[in-house]
Amino acid sequence: MKPERDEISGQETTGHEWNGIKELNTPMPKAFHIWLWLSIAVSVLLWILYPSFPFIKSYAGGILGYSSRIAVTDDVAAGRAQRSEAFAPFETMSVDELAADPGLRDAYEDEIAVLYRDNCSACHGRNATGQTGFPNLTDDQWLWSGTPEEIEYTLQVGINSTHNDTRIAEMPAIGKDQWLEKGEIADVIDHVLLLSRQDHDPDAAARGAALFADNCASCHGDDGMGGLENGAPNLTDATWIYGGDRQSLHDTVNNGRAGVMPHWSDRLTEAEIRKLTLYIWWAGQDDGDS
Amino acid sequence: MTRQLELNVALLATLVVFVLGIAILGFGRDIGYVLHGWIIAGTAGWGAMYLINRLSDPAPSIPLEYKDDVIKWGVLACFVWGVFGFTIGDVLAWQLTIPAFNGDMSWSNFGRIRPMHTTAVIFGFGGNALIATSFYVVQRTSRARLASETAPWLVLIGFNLFVLLAVTGYPMGITQSKEYAEPEWYADLILLVAWVGYLWLYMATLARRAEPHIYVANWYYLGFIVVIAMLHVVNNLAVPVSIAYPKSYPLFAGVQDAMTQWWYGHNAVGFLLTAGFLGMMYYFLPKAAGRPIYSYRMSILGFWGITFLYLWAGSHHLHYTALPDWVQYLGMSMSIILLVPSWGSVFNGLLTLNGAWDKVRTDPAIRFMMVAILFYGLATFEGSFLAIRPVNTLSHYTDWTVGHVHAGALGWVAFITFGAMYKMVPWIWKREGTYSLRLEAWHFWLALSGTLIYVGAMWNSGITQSLMWQTYQPSGAFTYGFIDTVDAMRPYYTARAIGGLLYLIGALIGAYNIYMTVNGPRVTSQDADARPLARPAE
Repeated sequence: MKPERDEISGQETTGHEWNGIKELNTPMPKAFHIWLWLSIAVSVLLWILYPSFPFIKSYAGGILGYSSRIAVTDDVAAGRAQRSEAFAPFETMSVDELAADPGLRDAYEDEIAVLYRDNCSACHGRNATGQTGFPNLTDDQWLWSGTPEEIEYTLQVGINSTHNDTRIAEMPAIGKDQWLEKGEIADVIDHVLLLSRQDHDPDAAARGAALFADNCASCHGDDGMGGLENGAPNLTDATWIYGGDRQSLHDTVNNGRAGVMPHWSDRLTEAEIRKLTLYIWWAGQDDGDS
Repeated sequence: MTRQLELNVALLATLVVFVLGIAILGFGRDIGYVLHGWIIAGTAGWGAMYLINRLSDPAPSIPLEYKDDVIKWGVLACFVWGVFGFTIGDVLAWQLTIPAFNGDMSWSNFGRIRPMHTTAVIFGFGGNALIATSFYVVQRTSRARLASETAPWLVLIGFNLFVLLAVTGYPMGITQSKEYAEPEWYADLILLVAWVGYLWLYMATLARRAEPHIYVANWYYLGFIVVIAMLHVVNNLAVPVSIAYPKSYPLFAGVQDAMTQWWYGHNAVGFLLTAGFLGMMYYFLPKAAGRPIYSYRMSILGFWGITFLYLWAGSHHLHYTALPDWVQYLGMSMSIILLVPSWGSVFNGLLTLNGAWDKVRTDPAIRFMMVAILFYGLATFEGSFLAIRPVNTLSHYTDWTVGHVHAGALGWVAFITFGAMYKMVPWIWKREGTYSLRLEAWHFWLALSGTLIYVGAMWNSGITQSLMWQTYQPSGAFTYGFIDTVDAMRPYYTARAIGGLLYLIGALIGAYNIYMTVNGPRVTSQDADARPLARPAE
């Protein structure tokens, strides 16, 4: 077929037709030529300035000598230097010294809050008040003592973590591993309900007392008050990590517990761990505004 | 190929897949995997029986007509997967607003049903739309019937079997965790068989053409088929652990694996979601508007520009990662040039409407196609812009990426598909026109508002997110915790879910309109173009 002239555009067609579709032979607009060559020029400039084409063993490095690796290393170092200057006390002082300085809280608490929210809040909550399975950090109840030094150590090595020096605290699966019979477990639970001054069956609780002394007291103490040496919680107060009602207690005694707190020594700097230590310790102080 | 040889090859391929299915259901240990074995063996076994029966039949006389029956099933598959995929997508959007909406079950959580959404829309909806329209276009522009009576069915059924295995595997945890290439090795092998058949069929049909030249739309469709074959094979090179489990390990590791994956991922966008649908545009737009293509020369610039440049650009998905700088800069520079041929196609499409702009007002299908081209222009500009490294520091890992993808997927891919379908369905079913232009217009406006709300919400949330992440106190500490940025996203996520809902309602109206069109009365007259040209006996 011969090229024909399209009346609307005034252009000639290419002379081809497919099922009624024709093509005009309109030349490419000049702007497209300019834009295409401009884009190619920009690209060539980039290839000259920055790393671009590969060779056999290395690559064209570009005349600016740019390297992402060097740029990011410098940026990270600069950020670290800025922060260590801004948080100077945390770089040098021990947590006890930091805790003893009453002016630090007002100056730094808000700045540290984001560090807490990014690393801790997923488990312990944004207000550090915890949730089921994760302890409240703002009260006076502690598993491993609430002194700044002990908090710092927990942050460093974690609990049941993969750190070599991790704190270890496991509640055995007394039912599953058949330490005690079903009825005996019910008696022990009644005894724990008695210790925590909740509704209980006095006869069962009395039977449970001896079982408690034989099986539980080595960690939780004869009086059920726990201790700060082995992470065994106090069973006599109203604070529970996994719940203190009969069903929750049954789950705990039957299946055991081994809650994990990760260790942060590989992820955070020593100064950052000190900041978080103080942040948590401040949260437990009465004069706090949170 | 003679009919006998063709049937034998098809039978062999089907039997290989059948044996694979039997092996999986026999040796498999996981319930989902065994279920897949049954699906594969059942489908392939049925196909093998069908082919064996045909072997003894006398050769049927092939009518001088286009082979459209398989296209009709492709249209059905396209709409079924589309509605399914859009629904899952909106469920995901609501999950992000109301996390408890996942029902607290493993199989319905975000990570498992998100690939159901992407696979169902990209491969189920987009893939079937491409297979169906490519069969239609190649026959019309070649004036020839498809080169085989069996291969089109093998392609369509094989492809949909792949999509079915993929989508049912994810909630049961069967995935190789490569974005857009999640299906495991056995599903990949089935797709490979179907895809080789597709490539052969397409080339054999073009070889039979009665027209002297190959039309532009076919360049694009063929480009899409060839490149997807290449990408699929290389990115899915993996070693299965054993026949008893679906698990496999990829051949590449570390940054090489990441680069291969994004070479695949970006060119799936470039050749499936772009080249294939440009092929659709190059046929249905001039045909519906009754105007010639604006410029043959722009077609050439567009096609070869895209084909050459896209394959370099995948590394822009890995800016500021462990990927060597030179790969990043090469990808970035090629992405900058890529905008020129992309907009070449945009101008070529829009200016084809010169002399027929009144039809944009009166014909919603043309309006769909016109707006699709605008969104294609928007998405390609955005793509090249985001590929520039410093811009990428703002956009990467944010919702802006999600917005960008959906500007392309909702605005370009699905709009051009709906426009083409509203034209093609009446043509292949021999109907006067669609059932209702009013419903078409409703579909258009719902889809457009849904897309604009979606994309607008994601621009806002993406930039907000990024700026919050990059805000520091004078001390060098972050101003916002990550959780604060999650809080800030909530209104945008709600808006996005509403936008998605509008889009879904539009698609349901569209599906109803298509159904009623198919159900409507046939036209009696047949125009002269509706037949292949007679050819000397082969």
